[in-house]
Amino acid sequence: MKGILASIQALLLAILLAAMPVAAADAPAQVQAKETHNQAQLWRDARSGQAGFTTVKGPESGVLIQSGGETWRELRNGPISLYGGIALCAVAVAIGLFYLRRGMIKLSGPSTGRQIQRFNGVERVAHWSMAISFVILAVSGLVLLFGKHVLLPVIGYTLFSWLAAIGKNLHNFVGPLFLLSIIVSFFLFVKDNVWKAEDADWIAKAGGLLSGKHVPSWRFNFGEKFMFWFGVVFLGLAVSISGLIMDFPNFGQTRDTLQTVNIIHAVGALLFVCLMLGHIYIGTIGMEGAYASMRTGHVDEAWAKEHHELWYNQVKQQPAEPAKAGQGTAAAAHS
Amino acid sequence: MARMKFLCDAERCIECNGCVTACKNEHDVPWGVNRRRVVTLNDGVPGERSVSVACMHCTDAPCMAVCPVDCFYQTEEGVVLHDKDLCIGCGYCFYACPFGAPQFPQGGAFGMRGKMDKCTFCAGGPERDHSAEEHKKYGRNRLAEGKLPLCAEMCATKALLGGDAEAISNIYRERVLKRGKGADLIGWGTAYGKREAAKEGGKS
Repeated sequence: MKGILASIQALLLAILLAAMPVAAADAPAQVQAKETHNQAQLWRDARSGQAGFTTVKGPESGVLIQSGGETWRELRNGPISLYGGIALCAVAVAIGLFYLRRGMIKLSGPSTGRQIQRFNGVERVAHWSMAISFVILAVSGLVLLFGKHVLLPVIGYTLFSWLAAIGKNLHNFVGPLFLLSIIVSFFLFVKDNVWKAEDADWIAKAGGLLSGKHVPSWRFNFGEKFMFWFGVVFLGLAVSISGLIMDFPNFGQTRDTLQTVNIIHAVGALLFVCLMLGHIYIGTIGMEGAYASMRTGHVDEAWAKEHHELWYNQVKQQPAEPAKAGQGTAAAAHS
Repeated sequence: MARMKFLCDAERCIECNGCVTACKNEHDVPWGVNRRRVVTLNDGVPGERSVSVACMHCTDAPCMAVCPVDCFYQTEEGVVLHDKDLCIGCGYCFYACPFGAPQFPQGGAFGMRGKMDKCTFCAGGPERDHSAEEHKKYGRNRLAEGKLPLCAEMCATKALLGGDAEAISNIYRERVLKRGKGADLIGWGTAYGKREAAKEGGKS
């Protein structure tokens, strides 16, 4: 037995020894075949952003070249700044011209002195949280995009840097509050912003904005509904979510994500500001009673009948709650 | 006037990270910030190459173009520097830079990044040369001392070259000529524009 085992061992050893030099000779031959002085493919890969190895820790630290930044720069400094700036100026000029032509849209009849509640306390708090945070975000955002070209040459480097630093921090901290106010406002106002058959008529007559003739509407006319769905819901969420991704870079977002999201943020925000310039205009100097309705929560009966006739009829039919009636008279007495 | 440039010879870089260490030590760079790093491509595979990368001091620098407070400036020697007093830490330079050169001491929530820090080509900042403030914010100003960047100066294999663009490209050109790899170096396809030939050339 021992003899057989020994001979098997010897045989195995002989096979191994015979096989080893062959394997050793094979490996370098393969290496030599792959090794080439032409590194074109390697550099092509590096150029396309393929990551290598590095001892430096951090997201994308192994990426030698990230090309997306150039696209981002071209878009941001190019069309977004140019057309965004033109759009903002155009909207401001259009509003100015409209105001010069029409002035404040007054009530056609005398006010009755009887007040109806249009917005309750919670709705007003939600609206003004949204409004104040929006204005802070819009101003600070515009300073970051256009300030270098508009403000910096006027107020100088040091002062502008301070302003931009305050703006940036306000923007980053107020942003999440804006999203919160959007979510609350959505649930508060969504039921009065659903499509009604009468909205078609409002669209056909462009809200009577040019003719001056009022189109009957429910609590919110189609213009307000558009502002709600396209402005607050669509743009609001697009800008907020893209903003949050940039606001919390500590989740390892790559530059690619940040660049894409920044473009969405900038385009959305510029559209949003253009839209809100119109909203702020009509809510303040554009229309009599509009600002007061959100400030006090109450409108005159004559205002309600003129601007939101269907809603007025609906509210009129409901028996007034004692508490609300009390509030109404108090506000009437105050004004 | 010299035009300052970095050039890393990938045929020479041995990934020793000496440049990274030299930079960190020379400028007392804070934790988490690396003005320079070595990236190895095809690591562990035949044909791997390493490149030391930092701010490349671009002529048309993207960081400069997108900075909302215009805190960047380019010296007469083409070195891209920035003013940390003006920097608001918005991170846009980091978005724009293809090389990942701009670094931030923090990576916190609400975009609290701190002031941006990057390679200065050992040329300090806008403060008075060799002043304590300059040293604190940007590290040593070797260029004002008549010295070149330390990373390149102490590169053991002289893979990393830093200095006047004309001088370093002459050194590199000479190396390429001496290596004399012929058509294989630039590739048959590059030289003669035939794809099939390029594949055969690559294999041989």
